Amino acid sequence: MDHYLIIARSITQAQRLQSALKQFGITSRVYRAPRDLVDLGCAYAVQIPEFVLPQALTVLHQAKLGPVQIYLSTQDGYREAVL
Amino acid sequence: MIYLDAAATSFQKPDDVWQAVQTAARDMSSPGRGGYPAAIRAADTVFQCRQALSDFFHADNPERIVFTLNATHALNIAIKSLVHPGSRVVISGYEHSAVTRPLAAIGNVRTIVAESPLFQPQAALDAFAQAITPGTDAVICTHVSNVFGTVLPIRQIAELCRERKVPLIIDASQSAGILPLDVSELQPAFVAMPGHKGLYGPQGTGVLICSETIPSQTLIEGGTGSLPLQQSMPDFLPDRLEAGTHNVPGIAGLLEGVRFVSRLGIDQIRESERALALAAANGLRRLPGIEVFATPDLSAQCGVVSFRLPGKDVEELGEVLSQQDIAVRTGYHCAPLAHRTAGTLKTGTIRVSFSAFNTPEDVVALLTAVGQSLL
Repeated sequence: MDHYLIIARSITQAQRLQSALKQFGITSRVYRAPRDLVDLGCAYAVQIPEFVLPQALTVLHQAKLGPVQIYLSTQDGYREAVL
Repeated sequence: MIYLDAAATSFQKPDDVWQAVQTAARDMSSPGRGGYPAAIRAADTVFQCRQALSDFFHADNPERIVFTLNATHALNIAIKSLVHPGSRVVISGYEHSAVTRPLAAIGNVRTIVAESPLFQPQAALDAFAQAITPGTDAVICTHVSNVFGTVLPIRQIAELCRERKVPLIIDASQSAGILPLDVSELQPAFVAMPGHKGLYGPQGTGVLICSETIPSQTLIEGGTGSLPLQQSMPDFLPDRLEAGTHNVPGIAGLLEGVRFVSRLGIDQIRESERALALAAANGLRRLPGIEVFATPDLSAQCGVVSFRLPGKDVEELGEVLSQQDIAVRTGYHCAPLAHRTAGTLKTGTIRVSFSAFNTPEDVVALLTAVGQSLL
């Protein structure tokens, strides 16, 4: 199934994103970001299901947790989400 | 042992603290260094501690919480972020060497001491109001004197700094976990504190709460787990100030310490400590010749009391107490400026300081031992 990856600059930011999403009932997973998605190496990705993106964006906006890079992960690879 | 040196470190900790330390040492690796379970467990624990501290001090954002080795480390970062050769700095008359030594090390700093008598908050505020003039680069103020327990009016001093647009560094070494400290209200540039005193974490833990708008200066540089292909330190917190591997067991213990304080409530802890300090002060006053540094009702004072016996070496009396397994701190308490301000620079003092683990029986034992030493 396709999903979105929100790229966090640090593990702390990733956890903060995850915590904010959780407060609004959005389940996510934190893991190491794919190398191709980060310019300066070693970052973390917060994975969310594809269908919750609009809600997640609202949460991130309300929690002042942007701007962040978001990618759609599909079987064909990653594609930056145009927001 | 009767431990009356909580102002140095709260030696007695809740059992949960030590259990968390053990669990972390056994089951957790390093946060931000991997995606495997032990690294994620470490990251989760460290983040929970950041969040708990952010909530406790009303910081709004856990990324503003930086873990350090101790309060001295945190103060060094804060001071060296704001103070440079040629700077003009205003400090209270009760600062610890953790403030005065970094200022001396920077060199060519014009340090103005806002001196005020013990236990007189209005006088302290007046002294700061007079000393903070145009061209002041920073104000550094301890919330509570580590020697005398005198409480500085930090809320009003912070207000003064905001009005005059001077960044404020608060040394909360003796107040964190004991007095209310709301950084969203005070809006200081930095707040430095130990994790191992009033927050009941293990030794080797400290915290720096940073402003989101004031740039911080790194003391050390190195790996952060973020932006490894960039050779300058990240410009975002907490990574900017947390180079190298975290003290995960210490931070895990600190998390339990903060939870312990939150469960008990700072009001209850403070009143319990003050009651013991008041009993100690009153009892010491009844002993012949003892000079006690406290007001009759312990107003503007926390659970710290200094005393001395003119004509008797404080170290000798401390040794007598030590032989009876009563732990107190004697001498200058790494705060010669505070002794200068209070007029005790020649003799030093004996300091007793209380934590949530002390009891009235501890005070009785202290008074009995001091009384016997006078015979």
